[in-house]
Amino acid sequence: MATTLRKVNGELWLDLSGEKTFHAMKGSLVRQLNSLDDYLLGTLVNIDIGSKHLTNKQLREIEDILLDHGLHLKEIMNSLTDRRDTANFNKPVLEDMPEYDETLLLCRHLRSGQKVCSNGNLVILGDINPGAEVVARGNILVMGSLRGIAHAGAGGDINAVVAAYRLNPTQIRIANHITRPPDGEVVTSSNPEVARIRDGKVIIEKLKI
Amino acid sequence: MKGKVIVITSGKGGVGKTTTTANLGTALAMMGHKVVLVDTDIGLRNLDVVMGLENRIVFDIVDVVNGHCKLKQALIRDKRFEKLCLLPAAQTKDKTAVTPHQMKNLTNELRKEFDIILVDCPAGIEQGFRNAIAGADDAIIVATPEVSSVRDADRIIGLLEAAGLTRARLIINRLRKNMVKRGDMMDIDDIIDILSIELLGVVPEDEMIIVSTNKGEPAVLETNSRAGGAYRRIARRIMGEEVPLFNPDEAGNLMERFKKMIKLAR
Repeated sequence: MATTLRKVNGELWLDLSGEKTFHAMKGSLVRQLNSLDDYLLGTLVNIDIGSKHLTNKQLREIEDILLDHGLHLKEIMNSLTDRRDTANFNKPVLEDMPEYDETLLLCRHLRSGQKVCSNGNLVILGDINPGAEVVARGNILVMGSLRGIAHAGAGGDINAVVAAYRLNPTQIRIANHITRPPDGEVVTSSNPEVARIRDGKVIIEKLKI
Repeated sequence: MKGKVIVITSGKGGVGKTTTTANLGTALAMMGHKVVLVDTDIGLRNLDVVMGLENRIVFDIVDVVNGHCKLKQALIRDKRFEKLCLLPAAQTKDKTAVTPHQMKNLTNELRKEFDIILVDCPAGIEQGFRNAIAGADDAIIVATPEVSSVRDADRIIGLLEAAGLTRARLIINRLRKNMVKRGDMMDIDDIIDILSIELLGVVPEDEMIIVSTNKGEPAVLETNSRAGGAYRRIARRIMGEEVPLFNPDEAGNLMERFKKMIKLAR
């Protein structure tokens, strides 16, 4: 989809809603900015990113790119948030995953009463037993059974995901959402699964990479 | 009316404090009372699992006393009974996360909302125990018919008396009548003789307790569970009703068996 750049009331409006990934978004942004004239220095820029959400780090990157061109970010908008985002549905899980600088790798089982927190992503090579808790500002990946509580996107990132080799949690929390398995239903899957927020609900899907 | 705080304790571990708390709480709620169960076993919580409410915990007792959340936010409503609530313990902290003073304030807060506050005490006589009894008006001691359990119960009764709880009552748990008859297990009278406190009830050994614990459904919900029936009777006695210690039907059976034995002896 073509990226459009308009100038309205002395401000620039940039539509990046057609880009599928953050990487493509960045590339398109740079291309557009390179084509600009110098007399726009110091102009405020509004960017429409469709239905996507940026992490703080991605936001900083965009701001840096704009500053390199002598422009200032005014606002990031989501023009497509109210539309059902079906395009995202069939995309591989890892493509749109938010990026974090830090990843904590843990090579042991977490037992009841143990709690591990990470400022970025959290990868556990082991099980998380009932009564144990893992909390991360970013994504959580469990290379074992997740039977306890996992809280991804603890800083408010609703794009964070919880993926596990076997996903049988007591509770899953993503950003400010809290879910638990329904009463009485015992659904066990023998496939890796991922939990993420879609349309404001935490849902569990097969893990596709 | 102000609610009553009852602590359920034993000294020894594994005698059935948590099972007793879950069952008595459910039985009292079945009778229509507003009940809250407070788990004070911080770091080794179980009451939520026995009640089948583990996956609903968001805030716990430590969050409440530290002011991280409101009391109402931490209370979990039971799946089956509107009038039954659970205040879960924290799992990732230890007993020092709460002080007896904080517990006293907490139970006073709960008194305003509930008729009965059942406090599930941890094993041992350290800070967890002191926290659990801090705000209590009454105590229920759980003991099994074993020397070690009775010895610990005796120690606990002494500590409770020192703390001003002089009206402790006893529940004898996991009694096996046929073992008592053979003389292989302590008799109710032997235990009362040593502890010399009021007997509140006797709960027979029952395999259904294990099944119901694993399912997260208290045994009092099962009409044909013997232990469940015993807990229902105990709940009525707590509320001041006059209820026989044993199920009248079973007592009848015992008499018949006794008669049969006499016949055989002839």
